Amino acid sequence: MARDQALSLLAAANNHGDLAVKLSSLKQAKDILFSVEPSQAAELFSYLAELQSSPEPLVRKYLLEVIDDAGAKGSEHLVILFPVLLTFLKDNNPIVATQSIITGTKIFSSVLEELALQFQRRGIVQRWLEELWTGLIKFRDAVLGIIFEAGPIGPKLLSIKFLETFILCFTLDSTEFDMCNPEVIARQGSMFNVSWIADSHPILNPHALMSDANRHLEILLEILLSASKLPGCMTITAVNSLVAIARKRPVYYKTVLKALLDFSPSIEMAKGRHTVSIQYSLRTAFLGFLRCTHPIMTESREKLLKELRAMNAGDAADQVIRQMDKIMRNNERASRELQFSKDDQLSSQLHISGELTKKRTAQLDNENQNNIFEASSKKSRHGPHNSKTTTASDAKQDHVNGISAKPPVLDGDLTPVEQMIAMIGALIAEGERGVESLEILISNIHADLLADIVITNMKHLPKNPPPLTRYGNLSLNHPSDTSDPAQVVGSNGFATSTQSLDHLAQLPASSLSTTSGAVSDTFATANLSTDSKRDPRRDPRRLDPRRLVAPTDMSQTYVVEENVGTVQHPTVEPDFNPVSSSSVLLSAPQSVPEFAPQPLPTIETDINLPDSPMTIEVDEPIQKYEVHDFDANVITPDKDANNYLHLSPSSGKEEDVVSPASMDLAMLDEAYSPSSEASDELPPDIPNVEASESASAELPVLPLYIELDEDHQIRARRLALERIINKYQNSQRTDIKQTQIALVARLFAQIDVSDVIEMAQKLIISDYEEQKGHELVLHILYHLHSLVISDSASSAAAVYENFLLGVAKSLLVDLPASNKSFSRLLGEVPNIPDSVLGMLDDMCTKSHSGADGRDGDRVTQGLGAVWSLILSRPFIRQACLDIALKCTVHPKDDIQAKAIRLVSNKLYAVSYISNSIEQFAKNMFLSAVDQHSSDALLSESAISDRRIGGQVEGAETSTSGSQVSEPEISPDETMKGVLDDSSNIFSQAHRHMSLFFALCAKKPVLLQLVFDSYTRSSKAVKQAVHRHITVLMRALGSSYSDLLHIISNPPQGSEDLLTQVLHLLSEGRAPPTDLVVTVKHLYETRLKDATILIPILSAFSRDEVLPIFPRLVQLPLPKFQMALAHILQGSAHTGPALTPVEVLVAIHDISPERDSLPLKKITDTCSACFEQRTVFTQQVLAKALNQMVDRTPLPLLFMRTVIQAIDAFPSLVDFVMDILSKLVNRQVWRMPKQWVGFLKCISQTQPHSFKVLLQLPSPQLESALSKYPNLRGPLAAYTNQSSIKTSVPRTTLVLLGLASETQMQQPHAVSSLHASDGPTST
Amino acid sequence: MKLRHATVCSSNQNRSMEAHWLLEREGFDVASYGTGQHVKLPGPSLREPNVYDFGTPYKQMFDDLRRKDPELYRRNGILPMLKRNLSVKTAPQRWQENAADGTFDVVLTFEEKVFDMVLEDLHNRKHVLLKPVLVINLEVKDNHEEAAIGGRLALQLCQEIEPAGNWEECVDDLIMNFERQNHRKLVYSISYY
Repeated sequence: MARDQALSLLAAANNHGDLAVKLSSLKQAKDILFSVEPSQAAELFSYLAELQSSPEPLVRKYLLEVIDDAGAKGSEHLVILFPVLLTFLKDNNPIVATQSIITGTKIFSSVLEELALQFQRRGIVQRWLEELWTGLIKFRDAVLGIIFEAGPIGPKLLSIKFLETFILCFTLDSTEFDMCNPEVIARQGSMFNVSWIADSHPILNPHALMSDANRHLEILLEILLSASKLPGCMTITAVNSLVAIARKRPVYYKTVLKALLDFSPSIEMAKGRHTVSIQYSLRTAFLGFLRCTHPIMTESREKLLKELRAMNAGDAADQVIRQMDKIMRNNERASRELQFSKDDQLSSQLHISGELTKKRTAQLDNENQNNIFEASSKKSRHGPHNSKTTTASDAKQDHVNGISAKPPVLDGDLTPVEQMIAMIGALIAEGERGVESLEILISNIHADLLADIVITNMKHLPKNPPPLTRYGNLSLNHPSDTSDPAQVVGSNGFATSTQSLDHLAQLPASSLSTTSGAVSDTFATANLSTDSKRDPRRDPRRLDPRRLVAPTDMSQTYVVEENVGTVQHPTVEPDFNPVSSSSVLLSAPQSVPEFAPQPLPTIETDINLPDSPMTIEVDEPIQKYEVHDFDANVITPDKDANNYLHLSPSSGKEEDVVSPASMDLAMLDEAYSPSSEASDELPPDIPNVEASESASAELPVLPLYIELDEDHQIRARRLALERIINKYQNSQRTDIKQTQIALVARLFAQIDVSDVIEMAQKLIISDYEEQKGHELVLHILYHLHSLVISDSASSAAAVYENFLLGVAKSLLVDLPASNKSFSRLLGEVPNIPDSVLGMLDDMCTKSHSGADGRDGDRVTQGLGAVWSLILSRPFIRQACLDIALKCTVHPKDDIQAKAIRLVSNKLYAVSYISNSIEQFAKNMFLSAVDQHSSDALLSESAISDRRIGGQVEGAETSTSGSQVSEPEISPDETMKGVLDDSSNIFSQAHRHMSLFFALCAKKPVLLQLVFDSYTRSSKAVKQAVHRHITVLMRALGSSYSDLLHIISNPPQGSEDLLTQVLHLLSEGRAPPTDLVVTVKHLYETRLKDATILIPILSAFSRDEVLPIFPRLVQLPLPKFQMALAHILQGSAHTGPALTPVEVLVAIHDISPERDSLPLKKITDTCSACFEQRTVFTQQVLAKALNQMVDRTPLPLLFMRTVIQAIDAFPSLVDFVMDILSKLVNRQVWRMPKQWVGFLKCISQTQPHSFKVLLQLPSPQLESALSKYPNLRGPLAAYTNQSSIKTSVPRTTLVLLGLASETQMQQPHAVSSLHASDGPTST
Repeated sequence: MKLRHATVCSSNQNRSMEAHWLLEREGFDVASYGTGQHVKLPGPSLREPNVYDFGTPYKQMFDDLRRKDPELYRRNGILPMLKRNLSVKTAPQRWQENAADGTFDVVLTFEEKVFDMVLEDLHNRKHVLLKPVLVINLEVKDNHEEAAIGGRLALQLCQEIEPAGNWEECVDDLIMNFERQNHRKLVYSISYY
């Protein structure tokens, strides 16, 4: 029934003409499909699949949704529908294609999960799932094809996303590190990852899949490479996906980061790509990395920051770092609380990561919380080596034990370390195929994590040792040498999964030996075990734990073979275990020969020193082994120094002894294994595998353990150290270096350092460029430091100091000053002793040869180091700050300048030290002011003393008077000395103030102090202040507003300074309004000195200037001239406040009585104006005079100015005559003061003035002639000219004696009085 | 197929709401959010902002501010803005807590910081649906005038994206054209639900 209905609906969906009907039919059909019995549904689903050829995109899309639903329900009908997905991938409608990828990706995840879980729970995999998986693999390949094929972009984006999902699924999950915030973790839950897949899974091969994941990552990286050919959104998606992978799988972080960093510069502006967004995606990526707390990512913090700063995203980066620090602190608090309830075995992943974070932030804790300088976070990386480790690892131990007690379940409950172990085991089981992946994996594991892995693995050593063989007794004779065969297994199996080891441990030891032969066929090498003589377990060397060095030189391949059995067989099947254990043992002989190729002639000879008969007896190969054993042994005794001791299980005392030893051995393994890769270079006498196998079989006895006396121990250690160091230099692989570093650090602590220090330094410096030297030094130092902390009586402190000092010095000597290593070293070492500070001090303050250009750089370097120390090391902050501050008053200019730049620009901005900087600067400033005011007095008195008491006495006084000036002044040079003194005072004051003024530039309010102390300063100090303030004000520029307060209320006696400040503030620009207002107010209320107005006059309007004009005139002439310049200059907007004409008029308008100004002042001012002939030109004068002549009363100085005008510009004479005529009309004789001037002018301007003179009425003319009798003759002569005479009044003629009284009444003469202009022109 | 839009600023008050209001008026399917920790509105001085939790109704803020200093908040445009907002929706919503609101096709942010936070948040979500979301940042200053301009630009942008159908195919050109026409810099990124 239901079937028929569904069929008809499907038919409608396929054939009906109306789309709506099609869709609704389909919808109904779907509901039925999911409700019918599975047996019926199969048929229906195949009908449904036919809809894939429907021409309607919507129908096809809906079909996809049905498939999606089926996938979500985990329906087995998916098998029928799945091919539809493959078809739709190529659909011409991009939406359908996109949806198909989405659905496929979802199904992919769910099927994968189902596959893994089904096998885990039930041990089988259903057929349909298997089929589906095959389909999914096809699907994957098809999706990969889409990325680079031409086609719509939508599906490509999803293909990239699919790649991401795929890679995430098939890599180990260690998300616990990607804890940006706890919220996220809680929300995410656990996602499928490769560790869910059991190793023996019939379909899924985790190792193959993992290498697939690696390959797919390559594809993603390839997208970046070909970004220039792809649309921008694809590049962005690829970047985002890479970031997601790197953040969720830190193993890939380095690869991804490198690709992204390489990518950034290669972006070019291209058509069709929004470059800004691509670039921004990188920015987002780096910011995202900064948010992660995984050690690998924190390690690259600096690089990220640099990159972000280059993108102008420094602010955003800083913010993220602040956020992260906050989160870390919170986590730390949380974990501290967790630690209190330690019995809580919950130990979620969050817990562990919290612990890790705690360790990392342990040091940060001491820091000032505001301090987010990168160095600190970087330094904290080394935190775990500190004393705090003990507590942290305690918690961890609980955790590890708790987990290992549980039955092995392959689910997400594993700790990351255990997951890694499982992972490594799985890869090893892969055989040849896994090698590549294993290498990638191991090379990406952080050293800390690697160490954890080794240690965690040690927990699972079997408790019951297998029976010892007869040879074993030999080795047991040596008390310090507890040869526990279990350890052999454990150490060899360091890479095996914890689970299998667990089982191994529970097996009766005897079964190991009995069953091992039975399954020998399993392995190619197993036939060895059938030969009891050659049974490797009986090989005496196997039983010697020191023999564990054996795997040392095993290449990766060997490791793989060795552990094949262990991991390939799932832990749930314990009967396989014997095989695995035997295989482990079997592999031993193979590794032996590898171990021989370490010919160490030097060591051999040295080793012969102990009086051991054994050494002489054994044959050569053994001797070599012996030598080798030493290397291992050297390390083992050091238990106290070994932090890892706490991690070892405490099941028995004996084990305690063993564990650290084997741990170290395991580390040695790591350290040495790469060198086998380079073994080709070794001497040709390396025995090949077969040869040594037979050799080892013949070895009759175990070389005896030799107890070395103190001396030899030391030598041996030294040799070991030397060897490692030499090796270290050649070693190229960084992961090995990590381990070597750890070894060297420990060895170092045991050896009397003085003799090896040089060797180490040389190495370190030579390698510093690659930065590994740096890490080595830090490891050594941290190790030494931990010794100091654990045992304050030890000599480690001295060693530490020596070593640090030595390295620091050689860094300075050998590396260029621009190298940052020095500063980095100091920033990251655990502790800075005083001697290093002393060195730093020397470096900054003493420039040794002076002429050498390097010295300046050294100072810069020193100060740079000081700077970073101040920021990152609170404990020596004050000491470093003192150094920096000391430099700011250093007599050498360049040192001082650099130090001041540092202090004022960088340090002063740091809130927690700004106060002490400010205080220091103030003190120096005040000392400059006060000391020198007394100095000045003293030196003045010194001068008088000298005059009185003679030269010798004077010299003494001057010496005592100024301690800072050259103390030795020879009597002959006394006077010169005095001069030097004052210039010295100036320069010293200048020097002492520099810092303060530099701070003022940052915080102008500080200037108040300058103003306050200005009055009591000596002249030299004032001079210094003036010089500084000039620079300061120019630097301040527009940020003067803080000064307004000071300006509005200047202390008594600081007027000069104030004026200078004002001048500087309004220099070269229009004075700002608020400044003008402030100054005006000041002038009106407190300070009546018009001087302060001068700088802002240009901002005054005409109406504002005129009232104060008299006050300006009152000023000393130079100041007035300055004021005048400002007035005439005016502002750009309003033009000059007064025109020159107005200025002249204004000057004349001043009334001495009213304005209480001496007349002399005004006349001087006038003269000063006349001197500026370019401003007060002829025209200006004429215009001004013209204006003034009409005034009533005439300005007092009017006539004087007229005279001056005519003096200055003789060509004005005609104009002046007009003026004079006007004055005649105005009856100038009635103005006594003007009249004098008038006559003087007439007299000076004769003969031009005759015409005017003749205009005067006779009485006045007469008085004029009586005053200037010498005028009479020329005037008479002039008047006597016929043309003039006629127009001159008779009375005048009479007066001049040119006519008799009788002629006086001639009428025409009167009428022509005013018409006589014409002929007077000359 | 109608696209779902989200407009995001830091407090879900000014810029995102302006755009929300405009887009809604023009018939777009739109929601708006803020990415800040709290909703912050200017107060009597720079140091005394009015801080509310997300979810506090606009009406409540309106009443609160009107009670505090009606003159000030009317003058600085806060009250009118709140009035506008309460006509659009009830309360400001926080982006980081919007998982229940379903997926968006286009997310418009108005500040680089907000853009970063939206991306980081999307990154941290579990990508289950694998539905791509286009996130675009259009830098708009947080004042009324700029918000009005920003709102119009946002509208224009959405009007250009919506008819394009599959923005994946043309997003680069679309963004670049928009930049050229409006002399504004945009940044976009792609994430998934």
